Amino acid sequence: MVELWYVLIAFMMTVYVVLDGRNFGIGVLHLFVAKTPEERRQVVAAIGPLWSWHEVWLVGFGGTLFVAFPRLYACSFSGYYLALFLILWCFVLRGMALEVGGHINDRMWQSFWDAVLSFSNVLLGLLFGVALGDLARGAPIGPTGDFAMSFFTDFGVRGDVGLLDWYTVSMGAVCLVILTAHGATYLTWKTEGPVHDRSAAMARRLWAVIPVLFIIISAETWYVRPELAGKMVGNPVAWLGVAVFAAGAAAVFTGLRGGLERRTFVGSGMMIAGLLGAGAATIFPVILFSTLDPANSLTAYNTAAGLSSLELALIWWPVALALTCTYFWFIGRHYAGKVKVSKDTQGYY
Amino acid sequence: MGLAWFLVYWKARALWTGDERYNEAVRFWAKIFGLNFAVGVVTGIPMEFQFGTNWAEFSKFSGGVIGQTLSMEGMFAFFLESAFIGALIWGEKRLGPRNHFVAALAVAMGSWSSGFFILVTNAFMQHPVGYGTGPDGNLVLTDVVAFLTNPWALVQFTHNQCAALVTGSFAVTALGAFYTLRSDHLDQARIYLRSGTAAGLAASLLVAFPTGDSQAKMVAHNQPVTLAAMEGRFHGGDMADLTAIGQPNVKLQKLDNPIPIPGALSFLANGTFESYVHGLDEYSPDLWPDNIELLYYAFHLMVTLGMIFILLMGLANVQRFRGQLDTSKWLLWPLMLAFPFPYIANSLGWMTTELGRQPWLIYNLLRTNQGYSQEVNNGNVIFTLIGFTGLYFVLGVMFLYLVGREVYHGPVSEPEAAHG
Repeated sequence: MVELWYVLIAFMMTVYVVLDGRNFGIGVLHLFVAKTPEERRQVVAAIGPLWSWHEVWLVGFGGTLFVAFPRLYACSFSGYYLALFLILWCFVLRGMALEVGGHINDRMWQSFWDAVLSFSNVLLGLLFGVALGDLARGAPIGPTGDFAMSFFTDFGVRGDVGLLDWYTVSMGAVCLVILTAHGATYLTWKTEGPVHDRSAAMARRLWAVIPVLFIIISAETWYVRPELAGKMVGNPVAWLGVAVFAAGAAAVFTGLRGGLERRTFVGSGMMIAGLLGAGAATIFPVILFSTLDPANSLTAYNTAAGLSSLELALIWWPVALALTCTYFWFIGRHYAGKVKVSKDTQGYY
Repeated sequence: MGLAWFLVYWKARALWTGDERYNEAVRFWAKIFGLNFAVGVVTGIPMEFQFGTNWAEFSKFSGGVIGQTLSMEGMFAFFLESAFIGALIWGEKRLGPRNHFVAALAVAMGSWSSGFFILVTNAFMQHPVGYGTGPDGNLVLTDVVAFLTNPWALVQFTHNQCAALVTGSFAVTALGAFYTLRSDHLDQARIYLRSGTAAGLAASLLVAFPTGDSQAKMVAHNQPVTLAAMEGRFHGGDMADLTAIGQPNVKLQKLDNPIPIPGALSFLANGTFESYVHGLDEYSPDLWPDNIELLYYAFHLMVTLGMIFILLMGLANVQRFRGQLDTSKWLLWPLMLAFPFPYIANSLGWMTTELGRQPWLIYNLLRTNQGYSQEVNNGNVIFTLIGFTGLYFVLGVMFLYLVGREVYHGPVSEPEAAHG
């Protein structure tokens, strides 16, 4: 039962990153691929009216974590206090930028919110990358399972670590590049005209750099947590993640060569999902590794809710998931194809 | 939450009668609803996270119970709302009239189910039911039906949702009055006044009776010390007075310059004028709510405002049936100016609920000072509180500016002309 819930929270997180990650990537690109106010509206319209639905996957993840692993939820959210508030403030700014940015047809108003959109999404992408790095590296968890972490300590990866160190920052940067490529791929698929051409050029360049970055970050991870490589090889579920990742990479490669925009986008989503899936399978059952003493680590087993809570949640949770997929289908089909900036898309209010 | 059902109602009218004026009303109010929603969604997400960030000990202790409803809120309500809100505001042409109606209905149901789940959670904190204690000393859910149908939750939900309808009704009415007084958009103003005052009277009555009355009885039976503090009742006894006016003097344990209504409190709490009502002196001071004065004023002001709402909406409906509402300037002015007061009344009601529960986080189970995150230091809490205060202030100013701008532009007939 605990294993099943571990899979479900990993699933929620993965879907969230695939859906909202592209919006972070778009944030990085926004000011570069769209030069005129009209083009910027086009990018906002491409993000579309379902952005808050994307964001809710994170809330769903938080809620699922709370119901299935309440102790992990409490320890990690209070431990990552400042980082989480930074993320929350960025969400506030990002949401406002999308909702009110097009509200007034005024150049300064729109330029301001375009910049806010970019800034908040870049920071969100970076912070989520750093969070992933933190998950791989671990946190200074004490014997009670609690921890309080500062932004940075000595930038080292052992002992009393902070949120930022050389490893987590480089993980943040690599994730941001991957999400930017993901966003560029999405914009290529959804837009036309100059925004499309610039995004396509950007996507090709970014995807060319990613293999190099990937090797670097793998080597870093191997240095920080040498035991993970062995755990990955010994875990068949992680192989499945690697297989999805490889299939995605193949789709991106052939998609980019053949100009198949949709295939590239699906492939890039699969790459991210495969990566996260393989990572989640590898670290299991430890969720938050303790850099002070491995015995303090928070695992799926020592943080899970009681069996009755898990069983009860399993009754309603799949219903909610099925419903939300239905909503997506119901709304999403009305917004298929390339976006055109018009009054019935998000670009204009 | 209140406005959502106006949108559903108008959309339904438009769909069945083909009356374009109702579509126009939906289009206009959907924009205002969208602004509300934008501010609501960006400020709501921090709240979902704060259980973990700021109330870690509370989350560990009660996660086995309230984790269920908080998670349900995310998975059922937020997904529903967030999927359809964009389509409701921008998608009228893309979706077609029928699906646009579905979107309005989905958003209304999403926001109300969100209210339900969060109020079940709050009701558990007020009046815990259906729980047991696990081997590690933390709470576990033993009876999910009892938990979801907590009588406190049902009373609180109806009271709160009626209050939401009051708020929505006053906003709709106020704008109708505003346009009528300016002789502007009169077609639309008439719809707003008619729908707003009709729903407003019903909701204002329901919020007082039976929902508010049941809520007070619920407090009287389950949290007698809270009721005593709400009423500034320092000494227990039979045939308790209800104080219409008076200031609690906690130091001297009495009410200054009270104007009492004999026996009324006994009647409201227990249904008979002679019955016994507990006083604060029967309880150890460490069980008293921490801020009795604030609790007392919050409750009394809420009740006073509630009565003013009934009076105002009653008058409005009398004039409407006489066909004179459009010309009654003396009434349109107060109707227009009244719109902030339901917001104030709502806040006062929540203050009454939350201050009244003190010193408990979960009534009789966990004190507030046992629930906060031990690992988060004061400096970080103050820093983030200041940050939120600043950010929310800016959001508030911008929200008022943007709504004011929409009101100034007014409703327009074609969806194409909705901006520019």
